[in-house]
Amino acid sequence: MFEKLIQKGLEKSAWLYHLNTGSCNGCDIELVSVITPRYDAERFGFKIAGSPRHADIIVVSGPITSQSRDRLIRTLAQVPEPKVVVSLGSCPRSCNVFNGSYCVEGPLDKYAPIDVSIAGCPPKPEAIMAGLVRAVEILKEKRRAMK
Amino acid sequence: MKFPYLKEAVKSLFSKPSTENFPKEVKEAPEGYRGKIVFHPDKCVNCGMCIRVCAPGAITRTIEKVEDGDKVTFQFYLGQCTFCQLCQDFCPRKAIELTKEYLMIAENEEDLMVRGTFIKKAPPKPPVPPVQPKPVAQNDQPKEENK
Ligand code: SF4
Ligand code: SF4
Ligand code: SF4
Repeated sequence: MFEKLIQKGLEKSAWLYHLNTGSCNGCDIELVSVITPRYDAERFGFKIAGSPRHADIIVVSGPITSQSRDRLIRTLAQVPEPKVVVSLGSCPRSCNVFNGSYCVEGPLDKYAPIDVSIAGCPPKPEAIMAGLVRAVEILKEKRRAMK
Repeated sequence: MKFPYLKEAVKSLFSKPSTENFPKEVKEAPEGYRGKIVFHPDKCVNCGMCIRVCAPGAITRTIEKVEDGDKVTFQFYLGQCTFCQLCQDFCPRKAIELTKEYLMIAENEEDLMVRGTFIKKAPPKPPVPPVQPKPVAQNDQPKEENK
């Protein structure tokens, strides 16, 4: 019985971990504004976790720079399954304007499969919320499939 | 005894929350917002200016030869676009438009593609001058030359 309750709680409250891999700070600021009272993503049960080991959803912003590449791989490996990788903005999806730079080793799907991508540069907070809600649905499916 | 913020607290009890009720009320983006790209293939003249000004290289073009001209396909990859609007500003025919739509959530690359195809008619061929029949060669000419 408690198991069911815990499962339901896990489904209703997904924890985010925000990983900045060399973003220009545009997307990061928009993600922070999502948890301000005006947009308040905590209505949907999101909480920003301080550690990747507590997270269900990884939000990656920025093209992967060569400095952050190893850290990205290490961080992603620490996230417990099932996890959902969300690419925030155009940068992780395709490196955006930084494509071809000597210090950029993106895009993100070289290192991890992207489950949801939110396009925009930066995306509006509403779009980020819609993307996160979609990520929660995928997380639910993944969790059911694992059982 | 004095309650410094009593008036404010009572007022807040009866006022509406400042949080936007996002999924139920989707707000329109402000004037001049640069969102999802819409391409009007009927207006495009295939000058290539948009490809030239696009910094991240989000626009690709494929040209196929068909009977009455070229079949041109423009492809805008929103996952690489930085929404700078330069393509719209530089397009001499106003064939590209950045709309106010901002909810661009995708699970695979294909959902982020905006495509448009049109057929660019080849210019009419100049009238062919009637070819004078060549004087018939003598039969006794040896045909070995072709061998
Ligand atoms: S998508 Fe745009 S706003 Fe976001 S990190 Fe990249 S360049 Fe900055
Ligand atoms: S808005 Fe800018 S980045 Fe996007 S397709 Fe047009 S020129 Fe390229
Ligand atoms: S600039 Fe405009 S007219 Fe020229 S190729 Fe691009 S869309 Fe077509």
